[in-house]
Amino acid sequence: MNTLDIKGLRLRLPNTARPVLDGVDLTVGAGETVALVGESGSGKTLTSRTVLRLLPRGAVAEGTVAVAGDDVLAMDARQLRTLRTRTAAMVFQDPRAAINPLRRIGDFLTESMRLNRIMTASAAEARAVELLDAVGLPAGTLHRYPGQLSGGMLQRVMIAAALMGDPALLLADEPTTALDVTTQAEVVALLTDLRQRFGTGLLFVTHDLGLAAAISDRVYVMYAGRVAETGPAEELFARPRHPYTAALLGSTPSPSSEGPPPRRLAAIDGQPPDLREELTGCAFAARCAFATDLCGREAPSATPAPGVPAHRAACHHSDALAGSRLEGKSVDA
Amino acid sequence: MPDNLLEVAGLCRAFGDVKAVDDVSFTLASGGSLGIVGESGSGKTTTARIVVGLERADAGTVHVQGRDRTGAARGRAARLARARQVQMVFQDPFLSLDPRTSVEAVLRETLKLHFPGTDHAARIRRLLDQVGLGTRAADARPRELSGGQRQRVAIARALAVEPAILVLDEAVAALDVSVQAQILNLLADIREQTAVGYLFITHDLGVVRVVTDEVIVMRHGRVVEAGGTADVLARPSHPYTRLLLDSVPRPGWDPHAIATARRAL
Repeated sequence: MNTLDIKGLRLRLPNTARPVLDGVDLTVGAGETVALVGESGSGKTLTSRTVLRLLPRGAVAEGTVAVAGDDVLAMDARQLRTLRTRTAAMVFQDPRAAINPLRRIGDFLTESMRLNRIMTASAAEARAVELLDAVGLPAGTLHRYPGQLSGGMLQRVMIAAALMGDPALLLADEPTTALDVTTQAEVVALLTDLRQRFGTGLLFVTHDLGLAAAISDRVYVMYAGRVAETGPAEELFARPRHPYTAALLGSTPSPSSEGPPPRRLAAIDGQPPDLREELTGCAFAARCAFATDLCGREAPSATPAPGVPAHRAACHHSDALAGSRLEGKSVDA
Repeated sequence: MPDNLLEVAGLCRAFGDVKAVDDVSFTLASGGSLGIVGESGSGKTTTARIVVGLERADAGTVHVQGRDRTGAARGRAARLARARQVQMVFQDPFLSLDPRTSVEAVLRETLKLHFPGTDHAARIRRLLDQVGLGTRAADARPRELSGGQRQRVAIARALAVEPAILVLDEAVAALDVSVQAQILNLLADIREQTAVGYLFITHDLGVVRVVTDEVIVMRHGRVVEAGGTADVLARPSHPYTRLLLDSVPRPGWDPHAIATARRAL
């Protein structure tokens, strides 16, 4: 059984012309690290929040979102509380916005365990000390206030808090975006260690393709509420089969490519489609160099790459693209 | 006319006990592009703010086109003259534009302040065109624009006074990569069309490789390495520069080794 199994997830918001999530299929196996990549408005954060049923007001969800076999969308209030305290946990982007600045770290770590009577206060404190140690912070951190810790230390506290209930699934939404690059490396090293030690499945939401490639087993690339492409990380980044993935790779400046730096980057013209407009056909067609009439008429379904069934792209022209990685190519003005 | 657009020598600035900027010197050649790279607390933003004149230095000098701008400007005319030399583009396009003012009015206000008594309509059209915004955007208010479009407006406003130097403080950091690429291309075009020099503050080594010719790396307020951008990135000589480069995630990346190297430094 998969730790997370999302099937046909469709999410509608009030005053929009099309679903903000449109038929998302996604799985995370036990102990697996999966990256969910996309730009602002692609639906990556909404997808991860749906796993805890943290939905915006007025949202209507269809499909199934099963965590450890149980459908989150069908849960009652009690089951939801158990899900959020024990089965799955989330690490947010900005630790300062997620921790009450007026209360001590120890309070914050043990609160959900005490309030839900999962552990006694002393057992919860012992667990908190153990986890602080696991994330490389001294036990004395319990008595400190958030304002006394740096951003990197606070994000470690967030990770420790997420692990308090020994969850099967950890959702991390841009957990390192607010951190410096060298601090990011420490937090990522910590997450990968903990995953090995506790066997937790990890869904890592990020806009950073390099980071996704570096840490995940499998990747999902989202665009306009749909999964554009999914596959094993190495395969997907070396041989993207969706023009959007290829274009994203091409527009990311690299500090260490061979040869002189490109004078211009291969930017993607235009903008993602507006939620107030209906979509016929492929969501990326208007910005795509490979688009034909077919793309405007018919939304492509995900098809596997020849010989790599796990690598699937929702594109009518995948075969025209295979192997044509755009990165590093300079475009003459 | 001196060869260097900008000369910064022995710049120091302390906040209490913290030396935010500690003996920083660099030059920006005419029409050149210089990157200042570092992490939070390295002093890169304070350095930029001193150059612009938003912060004062405890010691050291800043010369733009041979003119000293270290002390406080005397009078309105001197202040405006300084503003025409150096303009700044900030990180967050959502905070740097007045939400009640249309794009056209933003540009008109700047032009009226610096070039009173002339007709600005044609110049506004040219500026919008230069940053890739249609005339339709002229009537828009900031909330009707995307992040990339707002940053184009901020760049147009900065270019309106025809500055010698554009200081860009993490100007593309808040943008999505596809939009970031559009803005970086725009900056490359502007540099070709005008003789404006860039002082580009960033934490992103990929970005610095694309937009700058030369780079200085700052740490704890000091310059730890300086040189041609391609050279520094290909053959970093300071261990901190190497650590920064190694920290950029890529396939086969080893976060544990970086964490160890960071503690050793």
